[in-house]
Amino acid sequence: MKSATNTPVRGWRDRVFSAAAFLFVTVFIAFVLVLIVTDVLYVDRKAVLTVLTSKFILHALWMSIWTSLLTTLIALLFAVPMGYALSRFHLPGHILADAIVDLPIVFPPLVAGLTLLVFFSATSLGRWIQEDLGLEFVFQPKGIVLCPFVAAASFAIRSAKTAFDDVDRRYENVALTLGCTQWGSFHRVSLPLARNGIIAGGILTWARAFGLFGPLMIFVGSFRGRTEVLSTTIFLEQSVGNLEVALAIALLLILIALIAVTGIRLVGGSALVRL
Amino acid sequence: MIRAEDISFHIGTFHLRGLSLEMAGGEYFVLLGPPGSGKTIFLECLCGLKKIASGRIHIAERDVTELEPRTRGIGYVPQDYALFPHLSVEQNIAFGLRVHGYTEMNVTETADMLGIRHLLRRPIEGLSGGEKQRVALARALVLKPKVLLLDEPVCALDEVTRQDVCTQLLGIQRQLGLTTVHVSHNLEEAFSVADRAAILHQGVLQQVGSLDALLRKPKSEFVARFMRCENIFDARVKQQNPSGLNTVVEVSTLELQIPGRHNGKVQFMIRPEDVQVRCGLTPDGRSENTFSAALERWRDCGGYVRVELAGPVNLLAHMTHGAFAGLKARQQRSVVVQMSIEHIHVLSVQGQAAMRKERTA
Repeated sequence: MKSATNTPVRGWRDRVFSAAAFLFVTVFIAFVLVLIVTDVLYVDRKAVLTVLTSKFILHALWMSIWTSLLTTLIALLFAVPMGYALSRFHLPGHILADAIVDLPIVFPPLVAGLTLLVFFSATSLGRWIQEDLGLEFVFQPKGIVLCPFVAAASFAIRSAKTAFDDVDRRYENVALTLGCTQWGSFHRVSLPLARNGIIAGGILTWARAFGLFGPLMIFVGSFRGRTEVLSTTIFLEQSVGNLEVALAIALLLILIALIAVTGIRLVGGSALVRL
Repeated sequence: MIRAEDISFHIGTFHLRGLSLEMAGGEYFVLLGPPGSGKTIFLECLCGLKKIASGRIHIAERDVTELEPRTRGIGYVPQDYALFPHLSVEQNIAFGLRVHGYTEMNVTETADMLGIRHLLRRPIEGLSGGEKQRVALARALVLKPKVLLLDEPVCALDEVTRQDVCTQLLGIQRQLGLTTVHVSHNLEEAFSVADRAAILHQGVLQQVGSLDALLRKPKSEFVARFMRCENIFDARVKQQNPSGLNTVVEVSTLELQIPGRHNGKVQFMIRPEDVQVRCGLTPDGRSENTFSAALERWRDCGGYVRVELAGPVNLLAHMTHGAFAGLKARQQRSVVVQMSIEHIHVLSVQGQAAMRKERTA
């Protein structure tokens, strides 16, 4: 006897359609895997040892991890109130504000680095922040947080707005009649219901920040042991002819990204629904 | 007690115009109207979820017009219940208590009253429509509100569950003595629970009163049709009855007597269940408003038989099964129909002066 499944009875046309859709998935994943395998085959044992023992590369790894996490945290701090405000309050000019939020997603990341460099070095406000307030960003480690924030925070804000859009306002209305203030209905109802979308935005922001290269080269440079991160190390290594080492670092970057993104999905997936 | 005085509200092209209503303490009031008539908006105005443009709202002798929803002392059950999907049944019911920081939890007591104690540990997902409705009601009642506002509370339920829940709603309302406003577009629902009802149409209050008054003495064609009266006729006054109590009017080729003294054009109605149909070819001539008609179509509607009659005027009658069996019905069979004067209700009158003005225009 055939086992029952929770899917409709399908004819051959449906099977062809499913197979065609799955074919695209297979082709894409196979292509990415082939690229990674090519890198693996190109890298030798010596390059791997170099990566694992070089204190500059390990420093760059550490810088990449903490700066990208800090960037994500700051982006989320902005994204949650901004996403809620853009979703719920239709103030004059909200369409323009919405469009400006999306700008960094559209323009090339390089522009973020260039714009920040011009702002902090060629405007009086930028110089005042750097010189009088003592918040130095240009060619400084702090810039490794600010630059990805400008380039990637929009992902978190956009995701948060979409997540709050998806929360039915009637939930908030009921919470208001049950004794909540607007803040109460936000943190007791809307925020928990929007959580998955907000975290998805955080993952996108982290991914963008972790792998950012162009704007960092312009805004903070790549000084060994100071402002160097994994993405800029790859560039430095390949520019001096160490292609194997560059690829070994790239593989390290890919591995960390894969572990992080899969891990969040596996751990967060069920936990987020239950919490 | 709830008193809404001259409430006005507008959103887009929709306007709620000068709506005034009063519900007595402990009354079960049903607000009826077709979809889009403004019932939900009015309820949300009472809740404070929509800020009114003008007017005053009083709940339990307190002016709450400027108060936030949380301080109005209301229990609100929205359409589709809006149960918090990230919380369990127990957490949903206890939500308001936790917000107010109450330590003494009467969640179990409220759950017992609604017969949902066994659901307390369950997640919201997977509950049936009736269970969700009871959980939403428990969530609203646990804070012991002064008034209960229900927005289409049973519309998503099947016929049998709907009747059960209506009975339970009325029982709880009576037990707690809560002033209740129940919004619905369903007449059966209103008949199951209402002490009084109002009909709203395009943001304007059409009529307020007992369901019997809405049914038998509607003030407009809209109310009559909403109360499912299809026997509505436009007629021209022919003469006053010598007695002076009735007026003879012409409807198509038929002369009928209607109650009261009128002139010009009149619109009147008779409810289908008040139309008398009996066997026979011709009227006996002794009874007023009697004429011959033919059986056109009929349909068994469960509790009664819906009979369509064709004659000088087309008419609809609701007959008991017994009375209908007595007709020995067959297609085009001739029957005698009587529209008793006492069952005729005049909806509107357009006097001679108004008619002259209309002709001139």
